[in-house]
Amino acid sequence: MLALSPATRNGCDGASEFLDTSCGFTINPEEEDEFPDFADHGDLLDIIDFDDIFGVAGDVLPDLEIDPEILSGDFSDHMNASSTITTTSDKTDSQGETNKSISGKGEEVVSKRDDAAAETVTYDGDSDRKRKYSSSASSKNNRISNNEGKRKVKVDWTPELHRRFVEAVEQLGVDKAVPSRILELMGVHCLTRHNVASHLQKYRSHRKHLLAREAEAANWTRKRHIYGVDTGSNINGRNKNGWLAPAPTLGFPPPPPVHHHHFRPLHVWGHPTVDQSIMPHVWPKHLPPPSTAMPNPPFWVSDSPYWHPMHNGATPYLPTVATRFRGPLVAGIPHALPPHHTVYKPNHGFGGARPPVDLHPSKESVDAAIGDVLTRPWLPLPLGLKPPAVDGVMTELHRHGVSKVPPTASCA
Amino acid sequence: MGDHNSSQASYIHLVHHLIEECIVFNMGKEECMDALFKHANIKPIVTSTVWKELEKENKEFFEAYERRREEIPTEKETARRIRDLLSRTTI
Repeated sequence: MLALSPATRNGCDGASEFLDTSCGFTINPEEEDEFPDFADHGDLLDIIDFDDIFGVAGDVLPDLEIDPEILSGDFSDHMNASSTITTTSDKTDSQGETNKSISGKGEEVVSKRDDAAAETVTYDGDSDRKRKYSSSASSKNNRISNNEGKRKVKVDWTPELHRRFVEAVEQLGVDKAVPSRILELMGVHCLTRHNVASHLQKYRSHRKHLLAREAEAANWTRKRHIYGVDTGSNINGRNKNGWLAPAPTLGFPPPPPVHHHHFRPLHVWGHPTVDQSIMPHVWPKHLPPPSTAMPNPPFWVSDSPYWHPMHNGATPYLPTVATRFRGPLVAGIPHALPPHHTVYKPNHGFGGARPPVDLHPSKESVDAAIGDVLTRPWLPLPLGLKPPAVDGVMTELHRHGVSKVPPTASCA
Repeated sequence: MGDHNSSQASYIHLVHHLIEECIVFNMGKEECMDALFKHANIKPIVTSTVWKELEKENKEFFEAYERRREEIPTEKETARRIRDLLSRTTI
């Protein structure tokens, strides 16, 4: 029996049993004036627009039968809804108002139910209705935060929530992070361990991808600059034909998908228009061509600011690594390279012959890079790897008999 | 004592930085130890220790990096072949 019968009057004997006051409604006879005289209007069933209540097309009654069970089930934990509904029903002034208030409750109830057991509700009734409520329910997800974790709740990982998650994980260490500890650190009550565990799993797999791509990116960018790529503009005050200036800003490379945008997938050797990037014409097998990179990016990609807190999405990767490549790598400066260097043939800059793939760095460039770090230690790290634990390093060094770090005497 | 610790930490950070530079050049651990000793006078044992610790903290990165480095010989070969092909092609 539906608990939501909008308006009942003890006096409406003409009404069907549907409107029976078996739910224990009592109507204050003093308020009788406020109630429309339904008896005059004929059968309440005809008057009450159930579509109004439930917003549905099609057969409504079967749904109504199922509803009360679910409603009463839900109401047991939240706002004494059953009493609320009865009082609501009691106070009906007009059908419309009642309908609204009930549908309001109904919606909220359904949305809770949706939250709680969307998959488990087996409805014979109108799926439209379910869908309608689901869409409203999903927006209410965040509001309904106080679920006691009895049911499987679909958690909306908002950026803020995710940020706290990442903080907690980094604090614990990615590999050592345990969902229960993460939960503690996050201090969020609407999450279950299960939610956190599955999110952690996704996070870890995403990181794996990301780091693999970073390794790729490091390689690509190094190659680009070994060929003295025309980066197209003054970077930090140096012109493209001169020495590259250090770029003080980024410590993190952007996610490689951004990086790939700079490449054109097909190069023709010696083609004069290929000035943007002179990249190795060899695609490593496991690197997808840029145009098809990430056809279905995991949702994390769009959240990339959270992985790279210092990263400004628009900044190209190039400047940070470009700084390291000096010496015979700059366009337009002809050098006679010692034969063992496979960097490039210094013919006519870059319109001409393609350099072979440089898979071993030149001594000069390595030396230059190292010198750079020694003289300017404040420069950002090109890869931004997680630093080693100082204690771990020191312990290990002591084991090997190294006590003075940094060494005061000269190394031998 | 605190000073000692911070100088240790900054030294380790320096070595870390240098190692990252070497990785950008696709160098391996031994090459790195060699380069850092030659160009920065850093004891190979120090380089190797810091490298190993970095590896522990960044397992996935180093795994991917090693896999990448293994590809190099085949890359070289492919590069050679393509070069060869293109030099023989007339457009």
